[in-house]
Amino acid sequence: MKRFLIISISFLFFTCASYPKKHNFEEIETSNTLLNPYFSDANKDYVYKATITIYDKVFGGIFIVKKIELDHHRVVFTTEMGNKILDFTFNKGAFEVNFILEDLNRKLLVKLLKKDFKVLISENLVPQATYKNKKELVSQTFIDHDAYFYFGTPIIHKIVRTNRGKEKVVFTFSEISDNIAQQIQIQHLNIKFKMLLKSIN
Amino acid sequence: MTVEEASNLKLKVKTLANDVQSISSDFTQYKHLDFLDNDIKSAGKLAFKAPDLVKWGYETPFKYAIIFKENKIYINDEGNKSNIDIGRSKLFKQLNSLIISSVKGDMFDEEKFTINYYKIDNTSVVHFSPKDEKLAKFIKTFHIKFNEAADVVEVKMIESSEDYTKIIFTNKVLNQPIDEAVFNN
Repeated sequence: MKRFLIISISFLFFTCASYPKKHNFEEIETSNTLLNPYFSDANKDYVYKATITIYDKVFGGIFIVKKIELDHHRVVFTTEMGNKILDFTFNKGAFEVNFILEDLNRKLLVKLLKKDFKVLISENLVPQATYKNKKELVSQTFIDHDAYFYFGTPIIHKIVRTNRGKEKVVFTFSEISDNIAQQIQIQHLNIKFKMLLKSIN
Repeated sequence: MTVEEASNLKLKVKTLANDVQSISSDFTQYKHLDFLDNDIKSAGKLAFKAPDLVKWGYETPFKYAIIFKENKIYINDEGNKSNIDIGRSKLFKQLNSLIISSVKGDMFDEEKFTINYYKIDNTSVVHFSPKDEKLAKFIKTFHIKFNEAADVVEVKMIESSEDYTKIIFTNKVLNQPIDEAVFNN
């Protein structure tokens, strides 16, 4: 019985352990700031070919982001033929749906996309803690009360959204040059939802 | 454009559209979003075979083909193939028939559209505004530009937000045989 209790408590401790603890991150003192540069240039139109996989269905389209001014972005998704599917505005803390196809106008989907897109465009972040793992620095921050870990400071190549110490969504940025990620992938781990973005401009 | 000129243009377009058995053309598409610095440009080849086979084959900056064939849409997205059954979707059916009509220019249906005629230099431009509310939410007006032979040289689809998609046709060839296999996915 005693052994069982020890195992149960250890299991509970492990599953509830924080994300840094689970991954043996070592907390360090630093005055580093956290900057996500990938959609931060107001002089640039960011245009990506998108492939979205939801369960076994695959959809394509064009994903467009424009920084209008500081903390103000438009995010639009169109079909390859140019028909608008959705059009969101993120302006300082406010969020507005300018357009969404009736068939896609579902609260849960809009919430999911809003959360994911907000991570992509959130530029200046305040690190709550900074850690060191075997290879790099990892900064922890919060966006709308969710915990995020930014890998590879200062050149971020991965962002992980966590909940109770578990990875929920992984954003990966690859083929990075001049603050542009040629490829971005958003992978949800609790539902079968993946978005792959390839830069086309 | 005078009433007589409009009536002549309509007759010429309808005659040409009725005679069209096939179209092959290069196209350049410009997606205009008001907040962008530059339009998003893509280009490829269009193939049409009467009565209702259409293929838009995008070649740059991505490889993508969309084929409208027998109540289905077939997609080849950089090698990933899929299809959508549009049999039950009224909006898709309307869009499909609009795409075919707009490529031929024959959208002169006063029950479905409010139609306005304009003459700009040597080209004729006709504005077709859908009367169907659901469709109008998607596309507020089609602007179709015709050359002197009453053939379509440009289609502009304007959304209610004023953003638009403009397609310019070049090297257009009418009524040359097109192999049916072009429309296979």
